[in-house]
Amino acid sequence: MTEAMHVILIVEDDEAIQSVLRMLFEGNGFRVVIAATAARGEVAARLHKPDIIVVDLGLPDDDGVTLIARIRAWSPVPLIVLSARVSETQRVAAFDRGADDYVLKPFSAPELLARTRAMLRRHVRGALPMGVLQLGAISIDMSRRVVQTREGREVRLTPIEHRILESLVRHGDRIVTHAALIREVWGPNRDDSRALRVYIGSLRRKLEPDPSRPKHILTELGIGYRLVFPTDREHGHALH
Amino acid sequence: MFKEAIGLRSRFDIFSHFERAHARRRRSFHVALKQQSLRYGAALLVAVVCTALAYPFYPQFNVTNIAMLYLMGTVFVALRLGRGPASFLSFVNMLALDYFFIPPLFSLDVENLSYSFTLAVTLVVAFLIGNLVASIQEHRMHAQANEQRANLLYALSRELSGAPDAATMTSIAATHAREIFRSGAAVFLPGDRPVLDSAIAMRVLETGEPYMADDVYVPIGVGNRKHGLLVLYSPPAPLSAVRLQLLEAFAGQLALALERAHASDAVKEAQIAAERASLRNTLLASISHDLRTPLAAIAGAGSLIALSSTALDGDRRVTLGRLIERKAHDMTELVSNILKFSELEHKDDKLETDWHAVGELVEHSLRRNEAALSQQRIDLELPADLPLVLVEATLIVQILNNLLQNAAKYTPPGTRIGIMARVESEQLVITIEDDGPGLPCADTERLFEKFQRGRSEDSIPGAGLGLAICRAAARLHGGEIGACNRPEGGARFEVRLPVPMQMACGMEHARETDGAPA
Repeated sequence: MTEAMHVILIVEDDEAIQSVLRMLFEGNGFRVVIAATAARGEVAARLHKPDIIVVDLGLPDDDGVTLIARIRAWSPVPLIVLSARVSETQRVAAFDRGADDYVLKPFSAPELLARTRAMLRRHVRGALPMGVLQLGAISIDMSRRVVQTREGREVRLTPIEHRILESLVRHGDRIVTHAALIREVWGPNRDDSRALRVYIGSLRRKLEPDPSRPKHILTELGIGYRLVFPTDREHGHALH
Repeated sequence: MFKEAIGLRSRFDIFSHFERAHARRRRSFHVALKQQSLRYGAALLVAVVCTALAYPFYPQFNVTNIAMLYLMGTVFVALRLGRGPASFLSFVNMLALDYFFIPPLFSLDVENLSYSFTLAVTLVVAFLIGNLVASIQEHRMHAQANEQRANLLYALSRELSGAPDAATMTSIAATHAREIFRSGAAVFLPGDRPVLDSAIAMRVLETGEPYMADDVYVPIGVGNRKHGLLVLYSPPAPLSAVRLQLLEAFAGQLALALERAHASDAVKEAQIAAERASLRNTLLASISHDLRTPLAAIAGAGSLIALSSTALDGDRRVTLGRLIERKAHDMTELVSNILKFSELEHKDDKLETDWHAVGELVEHSLRRNEAALSQQRIDLELPADLPLVLVEATLIVQILNNLLQNAAKYTPPGTRIGIMARVESEQLVITIEDDGPGLPCADTERLFEKFQRGRSEDSIPGAGLGLAICRAAARLHGGEIGACNRPEGGARFEVRLPVPMQMACGMEHARETDGAPA
């Protein structure tokens, strides 16, 4: 996993959390760069060309969301928000400005590490999967638009369901906000989350072994949805 | 404040108003004159009738008896028409007696001196009796009016004493005034949109004197404190002094009632403030205990790890690390519960609702509490045809979180936790039950009060806010939450939410073809 040393930039003003994060990532094979303000964070991002950035939203000199937007303007580097802010609107704002994931403070170290690694893997591999996606017992051939069970039985998706699935796949296992999903599936002039929720429900019934406890299409309440691929090595990579 | 609420009209308006008032006074004088002349006319008629009655019996009846008949007429008039007409009649009667019955007949001359005496005595006696009767009658009417007034005031004050607030009081007073004075009546309090003459209203408020013209303005106040105005619109007849007094007494009653209402409001506010203060104290006490305990554990474990002299093997370090993590997590939950609670307490009815699938809310909550629930078996029963519901998702998830965390905290490992949702009589019903030890107290309602915990002081962390938050969140959606012990053992919590729903089946149909939403 860590053939080359990944560089991680941490933009965080609290010293205790800085040192915890430093220990966590240095102990797991990262080179850690720390910036305590948004301004220094942006400079460090240009200077060190990090492979991934972790941003706290409450910075002393500027809002973290603004920093995210500024970095996103010139770089596709994966951005993880690490914040105690829990308001949905703020989280949606962060995602809309280009954040890729969100970890709530107080965080659990293993979870943060796992999310960081998942993000790096995906970023390295490239975004657009055009091969066959394996979701548990279901395989999805993105280019041929064919969904099959392991036994070879075809699962019929309606065109809209297919578009939703494509959109989720396109974002990898990043969160797709409701607004983004609706825009990508129905076009820009629609604002009805009800239909989306109904279609997600029917997609789950078709793709999930237990639709009421989904393992692949996860709800990020008030924000959007996230498609989770199996990532353990036994399954091989999600995309072939 | 009141004066500003009334606003000012132009001077022109005021002048025109005084002109109108003057005209009105002239008009009412004419009315009074007409009424007076009617009464005197009636007295004259009585004189004519008496004369007509007596005439056939003359001269069989002597003059004294005829004088008696006239006297009777005077008494009758005094009873019915009052003092003035009676006096007038005494005089007319004397003239009639002289003219028709005392020789020389049909002349005002008097032959005999004794007749002059008869006439004089008749006049004086009639005059005295008339006045006497009239004044008795006046007294009687006065007493009657007083009694009526007392009755009216009593009825008003009794109704006012039952009124819960100032608005009800003013409407009661206005209704009574309308009925009794048979005219439009209204009460104006500071802040009411005025539909009355500002200049006069201001003057009445300043002087405290009632004002009578087309409309009658009476101040409502006790002493120097003026609460507003009681206004009669164009009463059918000008108010007599007695009626005006009655109206003022009305205003007085209303003023007293209003003062009482203000006083009770103040008392209520003081009570609420006191309750808040005691709540804050309880909260502080509870928080400081529940925060200090995990903090002590964290500090202790941290210092132990930092202590280089004690050689900690890997296992022990991991144990301490986990302890710190767990305690910090408990504190986070506690702090966010406290924040959530104070937020809910101050939230008014403005919910930020959106359409949500019930399953997604449950899914989200289960995922949030995965670690806490790892020892329990989760049993989900969510029908596929559950509708979308219009709710504030964070609040519903908060309810689910708190109920699930409670189940995790208060049941032993291996307990089954059932989560069910259904629609029942237009309500979304979510049930969370377990087959654990059940609720410890018989009075399950008390569980939902603030700072109430099933078991007092024990090792399980929490401030007793969880269920209070659930109740507040459910009530914000117009719903309710209840708890009971299941007959087969274990606890059951049921949340009922009468929220707008939309059946998914309509869209389901569209989905098969993807026609409509595309």
